[in-house]
Amino acid sequence: MIVEGTHTFHVSAEQLWNYLMDPEVLAKITPGVSQLELVGEDQYKTVSKIKIGPVKGAFTGKLHVIDKDQPHSFAIQMEQLSKIGNAHARVDMAIKTIDAQNASLEFNGKANLSGLIARTGQRVLSGVANVIIKEVFSSLEEHIEEQNIT
Amino acid sequence: MTNYIGKSVKRVEDKRFITGQGKYTDDIKLNGMMYGYFVRSPYAHAIVKSINIDRASKMPGVNKILVGADIPEAIAGVPCGWQVDFKNGDTMKEPPHPLLVRKKVRHVGDGVAFVVAETRAQAKDAADEVDVDYEILDAVTCPKKATEEGAAQVHEDAPGNLCFDWELGNPKDEVAAAMAAAAHVTELDFSNQRVVPNAIEPRSAIGHYDTAYDKYTLYTSTQNPHLIRLLMCAFVLGIPEHKVRVIGPDVGGGFGSKIFHYAEEALVTWASKELGCPIKWTADRSESFLTDAHGRDHVSNAKMGFDSEGKIVALQAYTYANLGAYLSTFAPAVPTYLHGTLMQGLYTTPKINVDVKAAFTHTCAVDAYRGAGRPEATYLLERLIDLAALEMDMDPAELRFKNFIPAFDGVEQEGYTTQVALQYDSGNYDPVLKRALEMVGYEEFRKEQAAQSNGKLLGIGFSTYIEACGIAPSAVVGALGARAGLFEVAQVRVQPTGKVSVFTGAHSHGQGHETTFAQIVADRMGIGIDDVEIIHGDSDSVAFGMGTYGSRSLAVGGSAIVNSIDKVLEKGAKIAAHLLEASADDLEYAEGKWTVKGTDKSVSFGDVSLTAYVPHNYPEGLEPGLDFNAFYDPANFTYPFGAHVAIVEVDKETGEVKLKRFIAVDDVGNVINPMIVDGQIHGGLAQGIGQAMHEGTVYDETGQLINGSYMDYCMPRADDLPSFEIDRTVTPCPHNPLGVKGAGEAGCIGSTPAVVNAVIDALWKGGFKVKDVPMPMTPERVWTAMNN
Repeated sequence: MIVEGTHTFHVSAEQLWNYLMDPEVLAKITPGVSQLELVGEDQYKTVSKIKIGPVKGAFTGKLHVIDKDQPHSFAIQMEQLSKIGNAHARVDMAIKTIDAQNASLEFNGKANLSGLIARTGQRVLSGVANVIIKEVFSSLEEHIEEQNIT
Repeated sequence: MTNYIGKSVKRVEDKRFITGQGKYTDDIKLNGMMYGYFVRSPYAHAIVKSINIDRASKMPGVNKILVGADIPEAIAGVPCGWQVDFKNGDTMKEPPHPLLVRKKVRHVGDGVAFVVAETRAQAKDAADEVDVDYEILDAVTCPKKATEEGAAQVHEDAPGNLCFDWELGNPKDEVAAAMAAAAHVTELDFSNQRVVPNAIEPRSAIGHYDTAYDKYTLYTSTQNPHLIRLLMCAFVLGIPEHKVRVIGPDVGGGFGSKIFHYAEEALVTWASKELGCPIKWTADRSESFLTDAHGRDHVSNAKMGFDSEGKIVALQAYTYANLGAYLSTFAPAVPTYLHGTLMQGLYTTPKINVDVKAAFTHTCAVDAYRGAGRPEATYLLERLIDLAALEMDMDPAELRFKNFIPAFDGVEQEGYTTQVALQYDSGNYDPVLKRALEMVGYEEFRKEQAAQSNGKLLGIGFSTYIEACGIAPSAVVGALGARAGLFEVAQVRVQPTGKVSVFTGAHSHGQGHETTFAQIVADRMGIGIDDVEIIHGDSDSVAFGMGTYGSRSLAVGGSAIVNSIDKVLEKGAKIAAHLLEASADDLEYAEGKWTVKGTDKSVSFGDVSLTAYVPHNYPEGLEPGLDFNAFYDPANFTYPFGAHVAIVEVDKETGEVKLKRFIAVDDVGNVINPMIVDGQIHGGLAQGIGQAMHEGTVYDETGQLINGSYMDYCMPRADDLPSFEIDRTVTPCPHNPLGVKGAGEAGCIGSTPAVVNAVIDALWKGGFKVKDVPMPMTPERVWTAMNN
């Protein structure tokens, strides 16, 4: 399963980087995530609930932020386990400066699914995953705007 | 005396099926029975680093959790029933197929642990809590890629993932020389995609060890109970056969996938003694997708050469056949002796070579599926000849007539010896295609096609097929690598009152044997059909049997019944002669009585039967009773054939294909019950058309089956299909007493290429010179083919 896309934020690349590295921000904006617990440097334990059509499940797993090159790029490596199947994913993130107040985030990743989620509805999951990621970034954008107002 | 044969007698078994009273394995409940559920690998290829059952074992109702290490080393796993060696003489690679894996999983769905609990729900809940730590490895799913350097290896002892490398026919250089001299060569690269059998009843098995009698009973959803008993006792568990009873009760469809001896059957049987209770396992739909042996999955390249007149001069076929992760019971035979041997088709091709490489991959096992090898051979031949007609600008029907083998009846004229190891029994090929063209209204259709101008492209596709079925002569299949004989057994037991119980080793799982066989018995014995009972599916009541597959039940099993009846009537004549005070030679048997020729002196079948069991006034030296069996081993395969024609309309804008008409003219030899044969043809057509238009198993590159549910895997439905137009010609089989050839697979063998050919014809005539549209022909694929 491939996820890819770009989103533009009205902050500098450095500021965007800082938002993305803040676990509280991440937990707040990621759909389904009920728990994002820092367990080591750049390592998190996650608990999330996902429902896609008839398939729903509670995932527990690990999330690592790796290959950090502040403020240009990093990658997220995830392992999510559940009774309905497991997901192993790596998503590469590239932050590009547009100007002093604007930066874009390009994401590009691949998830290997197994179990029930692999064989039921996988053909629509790629689209769903991209929607979920877009939601994450829209939430982040809203969060940034709120911060800027206050 | 034919009161029943040839008549569409309504199926006696349907009353219980349509009123919900059929008795399937999952309907059986035994005292103290526990329920099993499998923990199956979510990965295609991984090392099992550890299995932790602590939490799961404490779950409510759990009796036992078995893992690979709990199974004695002596139980090596389930065997393969057919050996096909490398062309250089090396032995086929036959890696073990354990009941539960010990170290490594090799496909998604591989059994890792078996949870036994008081209820199925408890077993399933506990299975969720079994904690398996995997180290994930790279996987390979394509049979061609599997043989390439650097591909992930499925088994350590099968280098390059090759199970065997096989060829058949004329030497390659002779074929190449004929090809080089050809005026035209048509070449095609294509896949015959993998399909999931999808029997409506999932597989199910109950193991029951009875301490009091020291005897095992296995109830299983199978097409051949005796074969399962033989394989399981002799090759898996090492328990004596007389201590095992295998019952295959009502079975809701098999299509080949229930021929094979599966690990689950042996596991529940063995575990029932270990755990001291009967254990039932029934697959859920997801498990059926993952573990029922799949069908087809060939990647092929083929060339057909023609002279300037359109006569075929040579055929060269190369195929990579996917066997999956483990060798299923008949797997090696399917791409070889059931596929390569059919490359003659209906044509006089003088030079043929077929080369097959069979590869292991990290996928579910592939084995016989309705047609088994013959649909793949037919697809290859019929795609080539239709494409050649387009390329050479010839009529596809004419091109076939030009190449058909001339008629032969197998009695006056000898059978036809092919270049690929078979001798066809009898054949008359022109009439089936002629009749099909008549039904189509061929000339009119071509005019309509040429005039079409509404954004829709009309196309017509042909397929003229032959199959080798009624498998098979034991000596022949033995020489070809089968590890079992393929005869069939029947017993005709006349009861004292003249009612008849017939025991057959064939097994009905939708075919209507209880009706068709009863028609034969009633006719041959001159009694009412209600006086006949057909009994099958129980190794303790039926002496022996090889089961039902390869369209063999009537040709082989029916012939065994006829031979038993002959024995009954021969003895009956002796008793009748005694009662009539005449010589047996002077008697004739008709309509249920023996009559002294030329007189009105007669004695009824009922009186003779009673005398046989109450032998007060009885021939001297003759044993009492009227009960005979027969083991029938056929002299040859049978060779049904036919012509299928599809008419499609392709939407030029969207690529959507509508199947407008489907015409099938089949020759299955003599017909006992036309309604049942029609039903078999209809079902086969739906399956073959399903492969062309809808079905296709998709594994992603990591070996995940990504369409393992009915939301994702498209089955053909009634509204996808036109009302079929079918007819028959009759060319009797010369070597069995009924003259029958078999009808179970015909529809599935002929139909697939006809549909694809029709789409190619539509595109070609619409100006798109497309050689291939991969199956299933979804609108996206057709559109892409038109727009590339």
